[in-house]
Amino acid sequence: MSEGRDGFVPNPVLAGLVGVCPLIAVSRSLAEGVIYGLGAAFCAIALGAVIPPLKGIVADRLQAPISLALSTALALAYALCAGLYSPTLAASLWIYLPLLAVSGLSLGALRRCSSRERYGPDGKSRLGGICVESIMFLVTAAFIGALRETVGLGSLTLPTPGLRPTRIEFIGIAPLSFLLTPSGGFILLGFLVAAYKIIVRAGGRKAS
Amino acid sequence: MSYLGIVVGTAFASNALLSYGFGSVPGNKAEGGGAFASAIALACVNALASAFLWGVHNIFLGPLGLGSLDIVFFSLLAVPLLKFLSRAAAEGESQGLLARVGAEADDLVVGSLVFGIALLVSRGAYSLPEALVASLVSGLGYWLATVLLGALRSRLELSDLPAPFKGSPAMLISAGLMALAFMGLDAAFVKSLAG
Repeated sequence: MSEGRDGFVPNPVLAGLVGVCPLIAVSRSLAEGVIYGLGAAFCAIALGAVIPPLKGIVADRLQAPISLALSTALALAYALCAGLYSPTLAASLWIYLPLLAVSGLSLGALRRCSSRERYGPDGKSRLGGICVESIMFLVTAAFIGALRETVGLGSLTLPTPGLRPTRIEFIGIAPLSFLLTPSGGFILLGFLVAAYKIIVRAGGRKAS
Repeated sequence: MSYLGIVVGTAFASNALLSYGFGSVPGNKAEGGGAFASAIALACVNALASAFLWGVHNIFLGPLGLGSLDIVFFSLLAVPLLKFLSRAAAEGESQGLLARVGAEADDLVVGSLVFGIALLVSRGAYSLPEALVASLVSGLGYWLATVLLGALRSRLELSDLPAPFKGSPAMLISAGLMALAFMGLDAAFVKSLAG
């Protein structure tokens, strides 16, 4: 994923399908989408900030394992913080919180940090690019979670702290609870990618 | 659960790609002549990684109450070891199956598929032999799903789809429908079948 000449940055999830695995499996509510998206953004941005200075200190052959260990440590630290903030949401995100270490966004940040080229055609910093993608990922994860929950369950769970996150119910029944399953996640994402293509093409840009 | 239950459950109802979403984008990679090598690589890498993480989690860190740190040890010790083994296999034989398996395994080691299956298996209530079987079959289940989706992709490319649905949207929707079919073999059904 890279920035075009007109400054347009394609959405990493809808155009590049970056880090879609957990979005399909566990982003079943707004709260889960926000907590997971924040974690992915935190890991990617922290890696983007920490890895380049390490290059001067660590030997070349040790850089890859140390970068991966650092990514794992960051994911684990975030998982602990998420557990303290909301044990319920951390438990519902399950093994996907430690897996933030190898999410598409984190691995993308690691690859970008290890490449010698500067990010973007106009020489913008790598960290800037990682930040933009991370924020887009967070917003998309929250949107997908909210959409699945609203259409699937007719409710919206807010990412509030504590054992019981605040839940707003719109209707008493679950209209399309199938959307909360992984198969529903795949199908919804397919329709969202198609909608994204239509919107981007209508704006006169390339979708990917 | 019996071994048959583990095999059917992990290959279908809890398929690594279609139930957990592990691995790359569905149907993204065309499966060609290297399909057999990739199946062996998937099974071997997942089994080795899961056995290592199971040992670290259940024997060393679990009794100390530090089980959640297992993934740090995994990335520090197991990933370089698996990389070394796969590169040794890739370089040992220039054209043979082992070299292709090694090359496939090298690409796999750092990814959500291997990490995810290893975490699932090590933190599940499995004994070591059950964990090995579950991880082997998970790898093969993932391979089966990618092969099926690869075949679907090649047919979808020839079909007359609306332009916005061509490519990844059609694949994602197909993967969703396939996941729905795989869900049919759920845990309760397998339990009644296999005991």
